[in-house]
Amino acid sequence: MPYRVKLENFEGPLDLLLFLIRKNEVDIYDIPIAEITQQYLEYLEIIKIFDLEGAGDFIIMAATLIRIKVQMLLPKPQLDEEDEEYVDPRMELVTKLLEYKRFKEVAHKLHDFEDAQRDHFSRSYYDLDGGDDEKEEVTFTGEVTLFTLIQAFKSVVERIPKEVFHEVKTLEISTDEQIEYIQKYLTENEQVSFVDLIGHIGNKLVMIVTFVALLELIKRKEIEVNQAVPFGEIWIRKN
Amino acid sequence: MIDYKHIKQIVEALIFAYDAPLSDNRILKIVEDIKSKDIVKAIDELNAEYESSGRTFRIRTIGGGYQLVTEPEYAKYIRKLIKGKIKQRLSTAALEVLSIIAFKQPISRPEIDQIRGVNSDGVVRTLLERNMITISGRSEKAGKALIYTTTPEFLIYFGINDISDLPKPREMEELLGNAQEELHFSSDDEKARIVEELVDMEEEDHSDDEAE
Repeated sequence: MPYRVKLENFEGPLDLLLFLIRKNEVDIYDIPIAEITQQYLEYLEIIKIFDLEGAGDFIIMAATLIRIKVQMLLPKPQLDEEDEEYVDPRMELVTKLLEYKRFKEVAHKLHDFEDAQRDHFSRSYYDLDGGDDEKEEVTFTGEVTLFTLIQAFKSVVERIPKEVFHEVKTLEISTDEQIEYIQKYLTENEQVSFVDLIGHIGNKLVMIVTFVALLELIKRKEIEVNQAVPFGEIWIRKN
Repeated sequence: MIDYKHIKQIVEALIFAYDAPLSDNRILKIVEDIKSKDIVKAIDELNAEYESSGRTFRIRTIGGGYQLVTEPEYAKYIRKLIKGKIKQRLSTAALEVLSIIAFKQPISRPEIDQIRGVNSDGVVRTLLERNMITISGRSEKAGKALIYTTTPEFLIYFGINDISDLPKPREMEELLGNAQEELHFSSDDEKARIVEELVDMEEEDHSDDEAE
């Protein structure tokens, strides 16, 4: 059975690229294509594991990155002075990233407006159809985004030694069981780091189920995920 | 001719009783013999009175009208009172799509997808359901896709009076002017990096051969 995770907060390939650019602290105007493509492809592998909706868009972007990487190697065409200027192969992508980024900035400000307005109640504010608490959006605290979590997951998965032989086994484990596991862990311990929680599990599938359980608990707002510094240790505790 | 004190009371009663932001025009049509500036003055004075007498609400100007709302410091109690009836927050994806529609309207879904680099079908549907956007017609371009615009509810939801009060996205021209200069000087370095990487890979392949 494939594990399907549907996350509406998943913002797509441009968002992932912006995340990688920020993470590597590189200049958006001078993207090291070789490096970023490599990292992008690593994330794509994880995204494919989760079979996220829209993985197709991520694959198209991977193809674009590889095309740019190849174009960077071609000799610059000999141009007459009157001809058009040489255009960097990355130019089109940079334009797209910037266009997307500036709307992302506005979206961020809209979020602040939303926040402020939610504190003002008018006598008509009641949603008389009855809001559904269950459907509350996934909100991540602080700097912890889905990408950050996937990043942490990726680094833990990478520690599993590669198995050469492949044996198909039925996995007797469910998300519910792993939810209980996390809940129990957090009853016994005040908080736990992401690596400690997932790291000692030797089996990739169990890891994935545990990760899905973790996302489910975040969605239910039962747990809180925090990070002291960007790209630092991720801490999980009860809400 | 009604005296000014009375005008102020009528304005207060109308805003208090209405269940949405009440526009200037509606008040002018209902109350005879008053001017727009009387309304503005009345509201300023009412708000000053609320403040000096320790009231917990104010009249705010949002979505092109006046609305009586509570002050933020009481939000946590009211939330407990009406728990379960509070509207859901919009997702990050929804906020992104709204930002794009707000500044590019009217705009079609393929154009939104193009900017976000990802399919926005589901998000657009949610925004339609939430009445944040509306279908305003069909595109003139090939495909005749549906085009979307923001609604007055959009302004109210974000507590904005007019669409021009929204924070503007930075200018593309300004951002790109920068890029063109930078890109010119740096591409050779990047090429060198890729070549280096390829050489490394080749060497690895080579050492594998020797091992066998």
